[in-house]
Amino acid sequence: MSFKFLKPYFPWITLVMLTIIVGIANPGFFSPAGMIILIADIVPLLIMALGMTFAIYIGGIDLSVQQIANMITVITTVYLAQFGIWVVFIVIGVGALFGTLSGYVTTRFYVPSFVSTLAIGFVALSVAKWLSGQRALYMDATFRDNSFGWVFGKTWGIPHELIIAVVLVLLVWFLQTRMSFGRALKAVGSGELAAVASGLNVNRVKILAFCVSGIFAAIAGLMFSVKLSGGDAQLANGFLLPAIVAVLVGGTPLTGGVGGVINTVCGTLIVMVIRAAMVYLEVDATQQQMVFGIILIIAITLTIDRSKLRGIVK
Amino acid sequence: MTEFVTGGNSPHINTLRNIILKWAPLFVLASLVLLFPIFEWLEDFWRGKDHFYLIDSRFFSIRNASRIAVAATPGLMIAIGVTFIIIMGSIDLSMEGTVSVSAVIFAFVFIALGGTLAGWAWLAIPIALVVGGIMGFINGFIHVMFRVPSFMVSLAMGFVGTGFALVLTGGDRIRVEDELFRSLLTVRWLNFPIMCYVAMLALLVAWFIQSRTTIGRNFYAVGGGEELAIASGLNVSRVRIMGFTLAGIFFALGALMAVGRIGIAETATGNNFMFISITAVVVGGTALWGGIGGVLNTLVGVLIVNVINNGMVVIGLPNWLQDGVLGVLVITAVVLSTNRKTISFVK
Repeated sequence: MSFKFLKPYFPWITLVMLTIIVGIANPGFFSPAGMIILIADIVPLLIMALGMTFAIYIGGIDLSVQQIANMITVITTVYLAQFGIWVVFIVIGVGALFGTLSGYVTTRFYVPSFVSTLAIGFVALSVAKWLSGQRALYMDATFRDNSFGWVFGKTWGIPHELIIAVVLVLLVWFLQTRMSFGRALKAVGSGELAAVASGLNVNRVKILAFCVSGIFAAIAGLMFSVKLSGGDAQLANGFLLPAIVAVLVGGTPLTGGVGGVINTVCGTLIVMVIRAAMVYLEVDATQQQMVFGIILIIAITLTIDRSKLRGIVK
Repeated sequence: MTEFVTGGNSPHINTLRNIILKWAPLFVLASLVLLFPIFEWLEDFWRGKDHFYLIDSRFFSIRNASRIAVAATPGLMIAIGVTFIIIMGSIDLSMEGTVSVSAVIFAFVFIALGGTLAGWAWLAIPIALVVGGIMGFINGFIHVMFRVPSFMVSLAMGFVGTGFALVLTGGDRIRVEDELFRSLLTVRWLNFPIMCYVAMLALLVAWFIQSRTTIGRNFYAVGGGEELAIASGLNVSRVRIMGFTLAGIFFALGALMAVGRIGIAETATGNNFMFISITAVVVGGTALWGGIGGVLNTLVGVLIVNVINNGMVVIGLPNWLQDGVLGVLVITAVVLSTNRKTISFVK
């Protein structure tokens, strides 16, 4: 049982230990009803983190997710009345467009992904400000309930949000482990030069990874918008940090190649448990960002694969 | 996080491409300054008003120049700080957090020590600079000692900083109303507020550090080729940590300017500085790959960004456009400054 052997299980061990600690301190934490509410609450974050996993898995990063989600809350609110439930397709299309744009700029123009996604994020912010007229918009309650009311319903006590999350997780899990795209992702994440040498169309794989990230950010924005029944250009602010934390704490390192979407599910749950613990310990809400920032630094430091950095760390 | 293949042009060889790249930012700035008045002229021409190009321009006036200068000053300080880092080929995304923390601590100390520059409260200024330096040092230390890419450490540190500022203030705004301190903005010499002259002084100091001190030359050595720098016996880790510390000090200086400009220190003081400063540095001609550019380029870059923002307002374009324009601008600048023959892929 060496450290190396244990390393992949670290996130799960952390999750179980945290859960037990929080559970001992606060037995109410284990009540199924409360747990389900907690998990349902974290669904938009989970969806965003799932997408982000793909960008980090290939060794990049996507800093545009928050702005894309912001833009989508506005788009959803503006077009809900006109298109009803079909607004989903607009959302996915726009998300895919912005993600693809990030990927295209990164791969074809050699702009590092943290700059390109940051920049594309600001383009999205522009769109959001333009569409919303820089005001907070609200949905018409009847339109919202007609089209998306079912999202907040329950079947046999299970919230539909949770079912959506499970379906999406299964989808990306299938994408990652059972399709050639997933294998290609692994190849690119493990060693880009080797992937190029073996004849893989690396650029296409990377663009697709950013595209998936954009789509999931958009779906997260949609969920968020429907949940809060409105949209504005700052609604999803504060999502970027926990999303990155969820991916890294789950065990997908910044260098990519290992980990994956199931790890991100674990990471998101860890984020959830930590948040619940902070609420229970009455840690002030203002301290959350600092705590997660520190957790992020620790997680990066522990997970990063230094052998891939080739001696020089920029 | 860039992989290079060998060969290609050195930035120091005067090929046509390098000469064009060197002067392009200044050319862009000049064109922009001449371009916006054309729109004004066209508008008045359309309405049949008399308008003499440049002379009657609202954009091309001392009053507007001073407005641009004031708006640019905090950003200039922060961009100068990050220039050192980018010259080394690293990146620092922590400025929003560092600025907020420095601004808030400055305001607290300033008020605790009497609230006027005439008394002991001047001590708040060096304390704020030290705080910025410490934040930068932590950044550099984690980056070097744990061998983590700088963009990620600094991004996380930025979150920590903003969070810390929020904890300190509890979401409140702290007013700094000392007349003497606010004279940074209110007292004008030759139409420009004092803060612009302070900024010029800081720029001069930065230029001196960059070109006349060993550490400044070492930044270029690290950015130009790290293996070579290590092979020639340079303590690269030390240079990197010093670079991040220096950047932190300049971020704190930016925080002081921001507080001087608005008279308020709060968690949001640092907002939006990250993207604007990175854009300014890159647009000014300091390549993300390191080794070329410098603080004078950054001055040009900051002016370009602010001239665009200001000019767009003057000619009546909606302000939601600004973020998108900056986004496109930064991508364009990185693309133009990248020699694609020497790069195999980026992450």
